[in-house]
This record gives sequence, C-alpha cells and structure tokens, in this order.
Amino acid sequence: MSFDHRAVETLLYAEARYLDEGCWDEWLDLYVENAVFWIPAWKSETEVTSDPAKELSLVYYQGRKNLEDRVWRARSGMSVASAPLPRVAHQITNISIMAADADEALVASNFSVHLYDKRSSRTHMFFGRYSHTLLREDGRIRIAQKKIILLNDTIPTVLDFYCI
Amino acid sequence: MTTTGKIFEGRLSDLIDDRPQDGVFRVSRAIFDDPEVFELERRRIFEGGWVFLGIADQAPAAHDFFTTDIGRVPILVSRGADGALRGFVNSCPHRGSRVAQTLAGNARLHVCPYHSWTFDSAGRNKAIKLKRAGCYAESFDLDSHDLAALPAFGEYRGFVFGSLSAEVPTLETCLGEATKLLDLVADQSEQGFELVPGGVTFTYQANWKLQLENCSDAYHFTSTHPSYIRILEQRQKESSGATVRSVWEDSDYWREDAEGIAGGSFSFPYGHVLNWGIFGVTEALPLYESADALAERHGAARRDWMFNMRNLTIFPNLQIAENASSQLRVIRPLAPDLTEMRTWCIAPKGESAEARQQRLRQYEDFFNPSGMATPDDTVTYENCQRGFASRVAPWLQGYARGSTASREGGNAFSDLLQMQPEHNVLADAQLGDETLLQSYYREWARRMTGVLEP
Repeated sequence: MSFDHRAVETLLYAEARYLDEGCWDEWLDLYVENAVFWIPAWKSETEVTSDPAKELSLVYYQGRKNLEDRVWRARSGMSVASAPLPRVAHQITNISIMAADADEALVASNFSVHLYDKRSSRTHMFFGRYSHTLLREDGRIRIAQKKIILLNDTIPTVLDFYCI
Repeated sequence: MTTTGKIFEGRLSDLIDDRPQDGVFRVSRAIFDDPEVFELERRRIFEGGWVFLGIADQAPAAHDFFTTDIGRVPILVSRGADGALRGFVNSCPHRGSRVAQTLAGNARLHVCPYHSWTFDSAGRNKAIKLKRAGCYAESFDLDSHDLAALPAFGEYRGFVFGSLSAEVPTLETCLGEATKLLDLVADQSEQGFELVPGGVTFTYQANWKLQLENCSDAYHFTSTHPSYIRILEQRQKESSGATVRSVWEDSDYWREDAEGIAGGSFSFPYGHVLNWGIFGVTEALPLYESADALAERHGAARRDWMFNMRNLTIFPNLQIAENASSQLRVIRPLAPDLTEMRTWCIAPKGESAEARQQRLRQYEDFFNPSGMATPDDTVTYENCQRGFASRVAPWLQGYARGSTASREGGNAFSDLLQMQPEHNVLADAQLGDETLLQSYYREWARRMTGVLEP
C-alpha cells in the first residue's frame, strides 16, 4: 500500500480545518483542476442517486472552477444567505483506505458538521459519509473526487459547501 | 386599533384591505404569523379544498402507490388492478395507524402493521385478522372497513389532486383556464413528463405564503440573486467547458435596462397565477432539440410559449417553475413560521442525454437549497418572517406594483393559447407586477368566508 494512513488522515483533517476556518483558497488548492464534487440526492428512503447524468444530485460539479464560483459567491457580499456566515465545526472519523495503488487511493470516512447560525440562533448537524478519491501529484496528495452521502437530507434552509 | 391590542380580531378586513375602487390592496403582517390564522388556513385551505398530490407517473403500473400529505393528514395514492388511480386517507379504520409506510412502492395488499387489517390496491378491506373469533356485534359490519377514500379526487393530464372535503367545485372548474398552462408542461414530449429520480426536501423558518409569493415575484430577481447573476455573466465570458450554460445569460427579459414587452402575468379564479417572460427559442434551454418538432406538432405560437419563462402556481400548494431548468414544488405548511418544500426536477420524457444533463446541472445550481439562488430566497423569507412580528404599521406595501397596468381578461399572448385569464398584466422588464399576488389573497379571503367576519 503506497498511501500512508497518516498522510491521508492529515489531508482529510486539513480539509476539515480549512472549511471550519474559512481558509477557502487553501481548501480549493486541495482539489485537482478537473475534480468532481458530488452530493447525490436521495431517490427513496434508502437509496441515493447513482448516475449524475440521469438523476438529480444536490450538487454535482465536474471541475474545480465550479467550486471557485461557490467560494466567490460566499465571499461576494451579494448573497444574503452567505452573510453573515454560519459557524461550522467538522468532525471526521472512521477513516479507511479502501483501495490504493501507487498514485491513487479511495478513502472512506464518516463526517458530522455542527453548524450554528447566529442570525437565526439555529444549530444543526449535518452528517454522513465521505468518499475521497486521492491522487499523488508531484509528491503531493490532492483530491480528484469527493462524494458526500448526506444522511439527514431534509435541509434546514441552506446547505453550502462549507456546511458539509 | 390600540397599540397594545392584538391586531387580528378575527375580521377579514383586518387581514386584507381590498378596495379596488380606491386602488388599494394591502395585506396585514398578521396573516403570516398569527397562529389562529394559520389554524384556519390548515382547515379551510389545505384540509378543505383541492390540493396537489403528485403526478400519475409516480405510480405508473397496477398496484404502484405513493404517499403524501394533505395538511396534517397522511394520504395514499394507489393504482388498482383495474388501472385506476385512487386516493385514500393513509390510516387504518381500525385504530388509525398509517397503513403504507414508504414514500412509494408496489403492493397488491397493504397490511396494517398494527393488527394486520389488510387492504387491496383499490382500498378495499380484504381481511380483518381473526374476525370470526372476535365476537363482533352485528352492527360492526354496518360500517365499511375499507380505507377511507378521499371525498374528492381527480387527475388532469397526469397532475393528481385530492380534497378532504367533498364541498369543492369539480377539479375541471377549479383549474379552469390554468389547464392550458399545465398543457404546456404535458405537451413538451409525446411520451409525457416525469419526475427525474432524486427528490430534494428542505424547510425554511417562515410562512408558506412567502413561497407562494416569491415564485410569482418578478421584482426580486436582480436584488436577491446578484451573486448568481454575476457568476453566470462570468461563466459566459470565460465559456469554460467545466461549467454549464444557462438560459439567464441568453435572455434579457429580466435585465433592468431592457426595453419593450418582456413578459407579464396572468391570474385565474381560485388563486392560480402565472408570472412569465420571453426567453425566445434558445439553445440554452434543454428543450431546444425539440423546437422544430414541437412547432410542427403544436404550432409555432404554442411552441414559443413552451420556451417562455413560466412560473405557475396552482393554489395552494403546487408550483411549476420553468426558467433556468424545470422544477415541480409542493408547499407544505408545518407551522406559521415553518414550511416544508418537496421539490423535483420535472422533465419531458425521452429527451436526449445531453439535454437531460443540461437540465439537471442548471437545476442544481439554481433551484436546490444547496445551489446558488434558492438559499438567497429562503433566507430572505426568514428575514420577512422576523419583520412580520411587528404590528407597528401592519399593512405591507408589496401588492401595489402594476395596479394601473392590470387589465381584465386576456391579451394577445394568452390568445395564442386560446386562454382566458381573469386578469393580465403586460410588462416591460422594469414593471415587476405585484397585482398577480392579489389573486392569492382574494382566493384566500374567499376560502375564509363564513369563518371570518367580513
């Protein structure tokens, strides 16, 4: 196995910290240029959508550019949903390297994100499962795909990239 | 009215100030946050009249079913062995448990999980467990043991409606001329329409009528969604292969500097309204691949209407928004300040893989609560709800734009559909008509007649 568990863990924790602290440039830099960022929708009580070409997703982006747009929007001052931002704290657990070769690894983990929106005094917790596809590029590990299964998918008003 | 007293004393005229002769139409903040008003709405509007349940395609085959709610009441819509769709209260006549447990499925028999009373897909009771041993009095069988059928149930071209009250006009009468707008959805493909797999449910902490209004509000787009608009403009400039093209970039009907007739509104009896804008037959819409075929089948005028931006409300709980993509929404009030939205991508069957992908990606960016437009709407609803707590200057001023532009009957654009609305407004991009919202509140007032003093 060519992906060190510790290195993978460090990357996932770094991603969580960047989102928590609003270090979104650093967060974007974790993703390769043609990265896929995917949050499937649910099609029944027990099944998520599996084909983004034919089925609805909550978010499906092919290309980091789309994430850059989301970051731009959140910072723009032109989105009432994004200002003031809620406070978030990500927890990542159960990190497992499911498959790996020299350059690529598939990593499963669980997440919970506590969110506090001062404006509405609302707290919420989004939770579910991450599946990261990691690539080694020039000695550095980056994210080629992140799939997020959101288990509690009745969304209280807003779900943005930093909430999950 | 004193400053300490409650503004809502049970009179309709305290809630809606409708004086056409004086050019006045105002709505009180109390209509959005008074718990008594909300209770009346539940009973009179949601549990007392036609509401949208789903589409027939959610249960296409014999014994298919789906579940939903009318107000607080759980509903089962099931297709019987005979192919007929029926609506029932999803509650066992024995002790009241919900009989069907899932959002959708296929079941010849529905067995109540409590005492195993069993019903077929047409709602008929097929078994009462250990009945002979049950020492029932003869009178027991004077009652029907079937699932209670909805007092009114009907379908228009695949749009399924039901009512918990039998005291309703026929569905045909209720929908009236607005059926011609449902036709524009149903006729986009000869194979009909479907809900794309994957539903999205969200809530917002504000009154259900804010969703009703916002869908019909042409005035807010450039104010509420500047971040979305700027991103689309950026994308158009860069035309990166990574991002999806949107019809908004292609159209200027909403731009504040556009000239000429850009769209307008139609309103109908029973509170149905349409807010529309001219998009033109543009390849930025997934329907473009069918443009010629649709013109051939339906004529160029109806085809062009299918390409127009159309935000349709069938009062009180169905909205079909066809703009950046196409969304079917079901509004469900949970509390005066809490609303649940169930949403789907509605699409013509049989469209190409490319068109479907374009539809889905635009949908996710625009309509989803995880997208770049809807959150700015719903957070705004919550801001409104906060403001509704005030009884200082209770009358809202948001129903007045377009007052001198509103005309009775139809216009050249509705004539193209042989459609006779009750009122119309022809608008340039700056008008932002609000008179169509008056239709919601006139229907609202009609439904409250008899429970609220005038």
